[in-house]
Amino acid sequence: MPRVYSLALLLTLVLSSAMTVIYVKHESRLLFAELRIIQKLQDQEVIEWGRLQLQNSTLATHSNVESRARKTLKMRMPEKVYLVLLP
Amino acid sequence: MSKADDQPVFFFGRHYFVLFILLCLLTSLLGRALYLQIVEKEFLFSQGEQRQIRTIETPAYRGTITDRLGTPLAISTPVDSVWVNPSEILQNLPALKQVASKLGINYRKTVALLKQKANKEFVYLKRQLEPELAGQVEAIADGVYLQREYHRYYPAGEVVSHLVGFTNVDDQGQEGLELIYENWLKAQPGQRRVIRNRRGAVVENIAQVIPAKSGNDLISSIDMRLQYIAYRSLARAMKYHAAKAASAVMLDARTGEILAMVNQPSYNPNQNKNKGPAQRRNRAITDVFEPGSTIKPFTLAAAIDRNMYNQNSHIDTTPGWFMVSGYPVKDVRNYGKLNLAGILRKSSNVGASRIAQSLQGKELWQSFSDYGFGQPPGVSFPAESSGYISHYSTWQPLDHATMGFGYGLSVSITQLARAYSVIANRGIQLDLSLIKQNPEDVRQNEISRHVMKATTANMLLKMMEEVVGPQGTAKQAAVDGYRIAGKTGTVKKSVDGGYQEDDYMAIFAGIAPVSNPRLVMAVVIDEPTQNGYYGGQVAAPVFQEAMSNALRVLDIAPDDLTTLQARFSGVDPGA
Repeated sequence: MPRVYSLALLLTLVLSSAMTVIYVKHESRLLFAELRIIQKLQDQEVIEWGRLQLQNSTLATHSNVESRARKTLKMRMPEKVYLVLLP
Repeated sequence: MSKADDQPVFFFGRHYFVLFILLCLLTSLLGRALYLQIVEKEFLFSQGEQRQIRTIETPAYRGTITDRLGTPLAISTPVDSVWVNPSEILQNLPALKQVASKLGINYRKTVALLKQKANKEFVYLKRQLEPELAGQVEAIADGVYLQREYHRYYPAGEVVSHLVGFTNVDDQGQEGLELIYENWLKAQPGQRRVIRNRRGAVVENIAQVIPAKSGNDLISSIDMRLQYIAYRSLARAMKYHAAKAASAVMLDARTGEILAMVNQPSYNPNQNKNKGPAQRRNRAITDVFEPGSTIKPFTLAAAIDRNMYNQNSHIDTTPGWFMVSGYPVKDVRNYGKLNLAGILRKSSNVGASRIAQSLQGKELWQSFSDYGFGQPPGVSFPAESSGYISHYSTWQPLDHATMGFGYGLSVSITQLARAYSVIANRGIQLDLSLIKQNPEDVRQNEISRHVMKATTANMLLKMMEEVVGPQGTAKQAAVDGYRIAGKTGTVKKSVDGGYQEDDYMAIFAGIAPVSNPRLVMAVVIDEPTQNGYYGGQVAAPVFQEAMSNALRVLDIAPDDLTTLQARFSGVDPGA
C-alpha cells in the first residue's frame, strides 16, 4: 500500500524535523550562553584596559615624572662646564 | 456456572454514563483551550512576555580624547551603580546589612530611606562604584541590582582642563572640546530585546531595537609634553609676580596647530567642576586686551608692505614726545633718530605712531584686518573672541596715532599668536586648529592666504631678533643656542574707558628658531603685582623657560652654534 508508506515517510520526516528544531534550539542556547560568558570576559578586559590606561597616565604624569627624577633620582640639568659641544 | 454466567453482561446504562462523563470532561477541556487560545490569548501572551522578555541596554562608550601623541586626556571607564527594589530587599534585612557594610553606608539610615520609598521600585544605594566591588555587592543577595554607567576621567587634570572641558553626570559635554565635539564623541547606548530564563539569565537575543554606537575618538593638536612645560612655567610666573591671571599659547608655525594652551587660575575637572567662571574660562581664547607694543611689528609691516619704508629708513623721534589733538604720545625717553629695527628694539611709541600716521586710516585698518586682528582665529571654541578693531571711518586723529602702538583695539592671546605666526610663516596666514592636522591638507590650504610679503616678514624677523638681543627690551627671552625673534608689551589696563595707573598687563610674543621658524608662543600676564610688571621682566622669562624646553623636547636643531660655542668656551658674547 504505497499510500501508507508515503504517509509513514512523511510522519518520520515531520518527526525528525521536529527533533532537529529542538536540537538546534538547544544548541543555539548553549552557544548563546557561551557568547554571554565571552562578552562578560570582554567587558572585564575593557574595564581592566581602562583601569590600566588610567594608572599608566597617572604614573606618567609629567609632574610625577619630574618630581621623581628630581627628588628620588636626584637628577638635574647639567651645568654648562660639563657640556661639550661637538662641531 | 451456566453459560450465560460466562457471558459478560453489558450494562448499557453504565457505559453511556461513563462516556457522557468523559465527553463532558473533553468538552470542558476543549472549551478551556479555546477560551485560552482565543479569548484570553492577548492577555496571556503579554503576561508571558512580561515574565520572559526584557529590553536591556547595550553599553556604548564616549570617545576618548588624546593629545597628538596618543596620551589620553579624557577616558570613559565603566562603573556600576547599585540599586534595589525596596519591597524586595526589605524582606531580607540581614543581606541588606551586609550590603550596607560593603558599600560603607549607614545601615539604619538606609532602612529608613527604603521604608520611606517602599512604594517605589527603583532606589539607588550608591552610584558609580568600581565594577569589582559592585560585583561583590551584587553577589550578596538576589534583590540587589547593578546598572552600568560610565565615569569620565581626566588624567591630565588641571594642566589641560580649559581646553578639554568636561562632561556632566549624563555624559554630555559642557565645556571645551567635550562641548565642541559633542556629536563626534558622544555614545548612543543601544537597546535589545532578550529572553530571560527563570533565574534572570539572558538565554536568547530576539531583536536589536536600537543599535549601540560608541563615540569616536578625538586626537587633539595638543602636545602634552609642551602643554605641561608651558603650564609649569606659567604657574611659576603667576605665583612669583602675584598676578591675577595668565595665559599662554604655543603654535606650530607651519601648520597652525595649537600645541599648548594654558591658563591660570585653573581647576581640576576630576574634582571640582562647579568652580566659578574665573577658574573655568579658557582665557587664552575668550579674554581680550589691548595688545600695546606687541602690535608694533604689524604697524611696521603695513608700511613696509606698501614700500613706504625699508630697513634703512630712519625716523626722528626727537624730543621723545609729540602732541595729537591735545594729548601727548610719549616715549620713556628721547631716543633721537631710530631706524625701523630701533623702533622695535626701544619700543618707541613716537616712532610707531609716526609710521601709523604716514599710512591712511584705511590702509592701516585693512592691513591689521588682513593679519587677523578683529577676525575670528578659527578655532570655533565656545565663547571664542574675535577681538575688536573699530572701523577706520570712525577714527579721530588720536585713535589713528595710538592704533600704531596698540591702543584702541583688542585681541586675545590666541589671535596675537596667530598674527605672529604670519611673520614666522613668511607672510602666510593659517587657520588655527585644536585638532591634529594632516600636513598635506595644511599645505593645500595655505596657497591663497598670503597676507604679508615674504620679504616684509623676513625683514621683521631680523628686526625682532634685535629685541631679544643684548640691546633690546626682551633680553630675558633669549634661549641659548637658538635665534629668537619677539616683541614685548606692557599695557595699562583700561577700565570703563579710562586707564588704570597701577594695573598692567605684561605681554610677550616670540618666534623660534629664526632661521627656520617652527614655534610661535605668546604669553600674557594680567596684573603682576610683585617683582616687576614690564613685558620683558614678567612675560619674557616665561617664554624663555617654556621655549628652551620645548625646542629641546621637539629635538629642533640649534641654529646659533657660534654663540653657544662662545658660551661654552667661557666667553659671553652678549657681555
